[in-house]
Amino acid sequence: MIDVIEAARTAGVEWLSLYAFSTENWQRPGSEVDFLMRLVRRVVRKHAPLLHARGIRCRFLGVADPRIPSPLARDFADLMTLTGMNRGMTLTVAFDHGGRRDIVEAARSLIRSGVAADAVDERHFAAHLPFPDTPDVDLVIRTSGEQRISNFMLWHVAYAEMIFPSVLWPDFRAPHFLECLHTYQQRDRRFGGVTPKANGEPHS
Amino acid sequence: MTDTGSSRPRRTRSEATDHHPDPARPTPGTPPETPLGTPPESLFGPDSQFHRFFNDPRWALAMLRATVLEAAHPQIGAALIDNSTFVAHPWRRLRNTLVSLQRMFGPDEETRQREAARLNRLHARLSGTDARNRPYDAMDPQVRAWVVATLFESSVTMCRLGGQPLDQTTMNQLYAEFQALLAAFGDQAGHLPPTLQEFWQYYDHMVQEELESTEALRIILYKLFDHLPAPPLLDGLPTVWAAGRALAGPVIGAITVASLPEPFRRRAGLPEIPGAQTLMQSAYVAAGLARFLPDGWLRTENVTSLLFLSPDSDDPRAATLTALRGRMKRAGALFRLVTPFPAQHGPAEGAGPGRDAEEFFTAVLDQTGDGYLDWPDLAAMARELSSRLDLDEPAETKLYHAYAEWWRELQTALDTDGDGRISKEEYAAGVPSLAGPALIRVAEVLFSATDKDGNQFIDADEYRALFRTGFRRTVTGADASYSRSAFVKDFLSFMSGRERSTAFDPLLAEA
Repeated sequence: MIDVIEAARTAGVEWLSLYAFSTENWQRPGSEVDFLMRLVRRVVRKHAPLLHARGIRCRFLGVADPRIPSPLARDFADLMTLTGMNRGMTLTVAFDHGGRRDIVEAARSLIRSGVAADAVDERHFAAHLPFPDTPDVDLVIRTSGEQRISNFMLWHVAYAEMIFPSVLWPDFRAPHFLECLHTYQQRDRRFGGVTPKANGEPHS
Repeated sequence: MTDTGSSRPRRTRSEATDHHPDPARPTPGTPPETPLGTPPESLFGPDSQFHRFFNDPRWALAMLRATVLEAAHPQIGAALIDNSTFVAHPWRRLRNTLVSLQRMFGPDEETRQREAARLNRLHARLSGTDARNRPYDAMDPQVRAWVVATLFESSVTMCRLGGQPLDQTTMNQLYAEFQALLAAFGDQAGHLPPTLQEFWQYYDHMVQEELESTEALRIILYKLFDHLPAPPLLDGLPTVWAAGRALAGPVIGAITVASLPEPFRRRAGLPEIPGAQTLMQSAYVAAGLARFLPDGWLRTENVTSLLFLSPDSDDPRAATLTALRGRMKRAGALFRLVTPFPAQHGPAEGAGPGRDAEEFFTAVLDQTGDGYLDWPDLAAMARELSSRLDLDEPAETKLYHAYAEWWRELQTALDTDGDGRISKEEYAAGVPSLAGPALIRVAEVLFSATDKDGNQFIDADEYRALFRTGFRRTVTGADASYSRSAFVKDFLSFMSGRERSTAFDPLLAEA
């Protein structure tokens, strides 16, 4: 994992999000969930100083379920505090995350703020999502040959490019990531319109 | 604690009780009349002896000592145990005391009169019976005299222990000042002996005959410092605070015990710790040395305002402070992350915007920190809000009434075992029923009290009076004002524990 983070940072990626645990993952067997929680905690603690030294700002998206062990929640909070001022790459770890839940939460918060229905537009709505400064996702890499979005940052992936490498996540390393980046650079992003760039014009 | 007598609102009307059956109404006639022979201007104001002490660091030790002596008085001890918020919110309590003293000893006669009237109203609401069914009453002239006596005697002792005893003239002047202070509370204020010589007889008598080892005394000496929450300044650094407290707490306790009069220590069974006397005297001397620091370094008001500076406030110093705190917080976070797996069993802090019932109960509802929600807890809220808003009558009584109504509503809804108070479990079982019509009424009354100009909006100044900070995240929209409905809504969702609030949290939950 740290390998991929490092590769992304060096390649100039400014926003990187990892999907660690979904709201639906709680349905897995208890022992597996426990193991995962311990693993995540070990990883977080092990890499915290390195992430900070590299100027990476870390955030955790989701993390609302009371089942999350409190020491882990504490570590998440600590890592966010520690790296909150960093302005290098922003690393968002989606943990106990569900794209639909975020949208529902945003709707709730919108209603609570008492805005008139007609005043709500996309920009306004997005401001109520968690971490409203998160930009739209450009590229989604779904490893292990699976081809579905699995409730991941639903609002932000509206115009994301998708890549589905068959390599399993534990084996996914820097070269794989760079390969995906390369594939992405070949893509022609039109956002529903005609191509914004004339033939032969270099992609920025 | 037993059911106290007259000071609480009852679900059903009880027998005619001795003093004031309605907790929300102070005794009539409390506003002080101008004391006969208004004291000469020099007794108060910047030239007074008192003012020299107020910025003396030794005074912190002396004040603590005075508080312990006060708590040793059976009536005061009982009143503290029942009503005071000093266990759960010691820093707020300290600030209120200092502000009060400053007003009482300030140069402005009108401020003093107002403050005296306010304190009289406040104390008129504090009466009841202690655990042994003995009545207490904060308006009892004897009680009030003793409070002033401890302040005076601790100031004198502070100078003696610091190695610079007061000469007779100064001591006489100081005594006159404290007598004038007592007189400023009006005709019910009680009396100190007319001369200094008689005062010492009175004092010795009190120490030898009247004082007891009360529960309040033991809490202050042995519990308060072990659990003292961090002041707002250090709120983000629980580890640092806990470490310092573990070290300083017992030392402060030992110093205070050693400075108490010997006959009382013997009678109350307070321990004699070897070396404590020397430690205590060194502490007083050392604190006294701070007088060689440049002027203004250790002004009490500066120190306290710094302690209460929270990074959310809009004080210009807050930016620096926020930066510093941020750095320390990050250092703390890194420290925790690199230390090998500590076994932590705390609740997941900051995990979400809501808070669980238990935390809300402890942080907000149980103001006196005794583990139960009872009328004194709600009265303490009304008291805090009244002093924040500097309310006069009848607004103050209105607020107390609203709180008393709410208490009745809560009791009816939540006190399932009928013991007259609400336990954490009863509260947790009945959380949804917390926001009834009486709580809405509290919100309405509080809004009207805050909206001084009555234009149905809380503007920037009114907002600052209540929350001690400018408009921030709480108020959305460009027109910087807070409407009645928005205020009521926010207050309800805060008071029912549904939502944390950046504005209300410091108001009632802050230590």
